[in-house]
Amino acid sequence: MELDVTANKPVPSLRGERRRKEWGAHAALLVFCFFTLAPFLFVLNNSFRSTVEQQRAFFGLPSAFVNMWSKEPVEVLDENLQRTLIPAEQCFSYFLNEATRGYQLAREVLHDYLLNTLEVCLSVALGVVIMGSVVAYLLARYRFPGSRFVYYYIIATMMFPAVLMLVPSYMVVRELGLLNSFWALFLPYLAGGQVFAIFVFKGFFDGLPEELFESARLDGAGHFNLYTRIVLPLSKPVVSVVAIMTILGAWNNFMWPFVTNTDGSFHVISSGLFVMTRTPVAQNMGTLYAAYILSSLPLLLLFIAATKPFIQGITSGAFKA
Amino acid sequence: MAPEAKTRLSHRTRFVLGIYALLALPLAFLTVFVYLPFFWGFISSLYEFEIGASARFVGLANYREFLFKDPVTWPSFLNMAFLAGWGVMVRLTVPLLVAKLIHSLSNERSRHMYRILFLVPIVVPGVAIQLIWGIMIFSDGGLVNEFLRVIGLGGFAPNWLTDPHSALIAIACIGFPWVGGFEVLIYYAGLSAIPDSVNEAARLEGCTGIRKFFYIDVPMILGQLRLILILSIIGGVQTFENVLILTRGGPGFATTVPGLWMYYNAFSFQRMGYACGIGVTLFALILSLTALNLRYFKGAESLEG
Repeated sequence: MELDVTANKPVPSLRGERRRKEWGAHAALLVFCFFTLAPFLFVLNNSFRSTVEQQRAFFGLPSAFVNMWSKEPVEVLDENLQRTLIPAEQCFSYFLNEATRGYQLAREVLHDYLLNTLEVCLSVALGVVIMGSVVAYLLARYRFPGSRFVYYYIIATMMFPAVLMLVPSYMVVRELGLLNSFWALFLPYLAGGQVFAIFVFKGFFDGLPEELFESARLDGAGHFNLYTRIVLPLSKPVVSVVAIMTILGAWNNFMWPFVTNTDGSFHVISSGLFVMTRTPVAQNMGTLYAAYILSSLPLLLLFIAATKPFIQGITSGAFKA
Repeated sequence: MAPEAKTRLSHRTRFVLGIYALLALPLAFLTVFVYLPFFWGFISSLYEFEIGASARFVGLANYREFLFKDPVTWPSFLNMAFLAGWGVMVRLTVPLLVAKLIHSLSNERSRHMYRILFLVPIVVPGVAIQLIWGIMIFSDGGLVNEFLRVIGLGGFAPNWLTDPHSALIAIACIGFPWVGGFEVLIYYAGLSAIPDSVNEAARLEGCTGIRKFFYIDVPMILGQLRLILILSIIGGVQTFENVLILTRGGPGFATTVPGLWMYYNAFSFQRMGYACGIGVTLFALILSLTALNLRYFKGAESLEG
């Protein structure tokens, strides 16, 4: 790009040299990529393999996928190490069931956790977007007694570190009788999440031109109409950034749901995955790996559907420091 | 004249009241779920305080115990220093190298593709990543030991996370090769923001390759480096989930970090006051490390750069 100043001059040797250099960069990046993604590929592969198969050989492709297409009877060792012969015509359904057994068990375990997580993440994201944008709008567009104090009162909380907050927050939620409930997650996430949202929204609203509001006001738009008709439609990109970051944060938070679920009645995905490793289901390695895959799928879909706001949000999260 | 002024005033008052009515709920949430715990943490650190029992004021006894008497304290700080120092080191180097490699490519499409590829692991919940490394990579039948057996070093294969000599190193190795997608994005943004005129001047002066990287690129992205440095230190002091998930601080106290010790005191031994004291101590440590950073990196300009 910068070097393209030379592009209109005939310097083939330089270009050739550059291309060779880029092969080196590509090779190094591909190696890094491979090692970064390899654990997840192993997890995906092993999620289709039975525990016996994994214990016999760590490296290997799921044999069930090969046997599914077998034209001859296949001999298998079942869980009690008995040899059984699977007739050729039953191979497909038998081995399809084998390959997906982990997923079937994992789905049963994760079903409730997933519903709880979705409930928490979506309601927190909605609440944070509404509260954050309204507060930021008030602070950005209106001067009123105490507005500076309110702003600093909100922004100062960004300095409170999670490690200091964990134990006393638990005591507060416990005193309020909210342990083991949706509210133990929803209310603190909403209270903390709005701060980042206010920060991002206010930055965006501050940059909106004054003329925009003037002309709308001249057309007779009230405060409420200004907000719903002018501001919100313009801030769609910011809304998606805030919503995605809130969902990502709530989805990944492990410590808080883990300590506020003293009786385990309202686990979410992250705390549920940890609890799951101590249940009998964990005897089946394929189930564990399938659970990791299933718990990543919703965010993977979100990432694919909204790559741009996702990336913007992650980099704007830097200012949380 | 007078009555008109009066209605204008009351109109203004109504307007301000309206604003505060809208602010009431957000500020109430903030007060109850953020400020109340923050101050309660400081206050209860001065009490011997168990849930369900009555609290007893003990002054600074919790801090004295944690800093001078508790045998777990200093080993846990050493573990934390090792893990945090390692975290800072890898986050300042590997993602920067990767960002530089991506930035050096001439094809916009492949630059985009690599940035996305390195970011994909962010969709996997952090707990799952720790468990994957614990169960699939560092367990006895896991990837590392199976690999050692394949290349004939099976006799060497330790039980990484339960051997006191290797547990801490194994925890530090999690995430190899430590190409954080987030850090790559930050460094990449910094490299892209270097003005063309600077790059052009460097090229004309014959400053290329490794020399350009150290004399032009690194000084130009000091702001990004400082950001990652501060974030890594803050994270390094606070993080204990990974240790809780992988080793629970064991074997013995070989991998215990102060945050985990706080967790155990609060949720296993019910010593809430003592746990709050540990939390406040860590907060003070974070504040002073951040202040040091800001002081010694004063030269670096704004982060948006």
